[in-house]
Order: sequence, then C-alpha cells, then structure tokens
Amino acid sequence: MVRPPATTAPASTTEAALLLLLALGLAGCGLSPLRRQPAAPAGLGSESREQPALSGDGRLLATLVERGGRTTVLLQERRSGRVLPLRHLRNRQPHSSPSLSWNGRYLALLLQQGARRQAVIEDRATGRLQPLPLPAGLEPDRLSLAPDGQSLAVELIRDGRRSVQLFDLSQLLEPDRAPGLRESGGGPGAPP
Amino acid sequence: MNRGLTLLGLTSLLLLVGCQAGPRPLNRVNQPLSRLGSSESPSLAGNWLALIASRQAGRPQVQLIDVRRNAPVPLPGLNRADSLPLSVAVDQNGERLALVRQRDDRSELLLYRRSLQATQTLAIEPAGVPRRVSLSADGRVLAVEVSRNGLWQVDLLELP
Repeated sequence: MVRPPATTAPASTTEAALLLLLALGLAGCGLSPLRRQPAAPAGLGSESREQPALSGDGRLLATLVERGGRTTVLLQERRSGRVLPLRHLRNRQPHSSPSLSWNGRYLALLLQQGARRQAVIEDRATGRLQPLPLPAGLEPDRLSLAPDGQSLAVELIRDGRRSVQLFDLSQLLEPDRAPGLRESGGGPGAPP
Repeated sequence: MNRGLTLLGLTSLLLLVGCQAGPRPLNRVNQPLSRLGSSESPSLAGNWLALIASRQAGRPQVQLIDVRRNAPVPLPGLNRADSLPLSVAVDQNGERLALVRQRDDRSELLLYRRSLQATQTLAIEPAGVPRRVSLSADGRVLAVEVSRNGLWQVDLLELP
C-alpha cells in the first residue's frame, strides 16, 4: 500500500485551516450585527424624543417631542425624516404611547381628555379619529396596536395594579396588512 | 300596533348598540393573562404578545404568549435571576424579541432569537442608557429610546 507523500497531509491541513478561517470570516461578516441610522432623521436637530414606535414594515417612525411645552406625537418617514401630517391631534396634548399598524395607516395613542387619558386611533387613510372607550375605572397607560390593526393590547392601571388586556378592533377598523398577505385563511401551510 | 312598537323598539336598540360599538375585550385571552399576576409593557405582533409579568412578590419576567393557542411559550435563556426586564418588543413571527433589562446596575439592550435560544447584546453607541424599545413587525428595524447627555434620544438599528 502506497502512502501519500508526507508533505501532502500538512498542505491539505493548511489549506483546510485557511478555508475554515475564510469561511468563519465570511460568516462573521454575514452576522455583522447592525447598521446604525443616525438617531434623528433629517431636519430634527438634537431635541429630546421619547417613546419610539415603528410601523410594521419599519418605514415610519412615531416619537414624542416637545412642541410649545406640550408633549406631541411626531410621525415621520424613517429614512428621509419627512414629517407626515396628523389631522386630529392638535390641542389634545399631552400625547403618549404611540403605536403604528403595518403600513402606518393607523396610529393608536393616548391623549388627554380632561382629567383622564383617552385611547384613540387616527386613520390616516380616511382622516377619521376613532375613540376607543375602555372599561370604566381603568386608566390606560400603554398601547400596542397589532400590525394588522385588528386588535390592541392595553396596559391598564386599576388601584395601582397594572395589567395587560387585549381588545378586538375587527368591528371598527379595516385590516392594514403587509402587501401580498391573503385576506382569508386556508390553503397549504395555513394553521388548523 | 303592538308589532309596530316592538319593531321600533328593536330598531332603536340596534341603533344604540351600533352607536356604542367600541373595542371588545378578548376574554379568552384576558382571563389567562390575569392569572400571570401584574403585567406591563405589552408588544403585540401577529399571533404574539410579549409582556413583562410578575406574580405576587415574584421577580418580573418576560413572557411570550401565543395568542392563537392562548398559552405562553418557553423562552430558554432569556430570563435571568440577576436581571430586571424594563421593556420588550416582539416581531410578527415570534422569532425575535428585543429587550431592555437592568443587570448589575446597568441597562442593556438585547436581541433574543427564539429558534437559536440565544441572546445577543447590542452595544449602544455613543454610550447611553436604553429604556424603551420598539421592533418593527418584520423584525428588521429596532428603535431604542436612549438617555444620553441629559436628553432622551431615539437610536435606530437595522438588523441583518
């Protein structure tokens, strides 16, 4: 039996090690974690901003800023910084806890209604403001709108205790789904 | 005559109910939620609800609820005895969770991938203290509220 030349094995080992290093390096590039976008989209300067909320597709960003001493929601395109108009929310500050649907059609937030906070949804497609009356005796503190706009999670406070509850909005809002998503169930891969 | 009055009454009732249409509590989910104890910081995406829950005298923990099955799913490696979750967000596949937590008197930003059962610490640059996080439902963009130089700022990160 002829053994391979002694030099072959180390050469192969070296090549294998180099290939492994290269592969690891490439994999490392693939995992390179993040691309950072400047914190403030164009045109905003360095003012204080709080409570960010992204639309489901990541295209829009809602934040809270100070305008004339009042905490006001600001809706922007994330990449360009272009500010998008909101029709109904002026003079009803302070705003808090903004939350956006998939395409940003719906903006849910809390606004001040006298001594109480009121949950509302602005429909940017129709310009309608939809109040969301919640059970009496519960103070809403934080909202999370489902990306399709069909349900809402609300952090509620009663007697100092916090609890999260879900509400169905399907009778109030049309779905705001990602493009290409089917409207009804069934078909291969659909959940039972 | 009586029939007319009945119809009128029924129509009025229907109109009233219609006028009072509002959000309807999803009791099949809310009842199990109430058994989690105190809960806060909700993030809803697809069939997933992430929140921070603490039973009486218990340590707050991140919970991920499968809303369709109405049950929490395990998150191995995410909750630690030496840390306190402050804010959580989930993507629509329930695969990625972004988390701000306090550990050893420091706040840190983490990304958890459920299929890998692994957390990755995300550096805050320039240095700052993260407080609240939002994850786009497609799981590709992260917005983090950061305290920096006496201001609250929002950092945006695109995830691979």
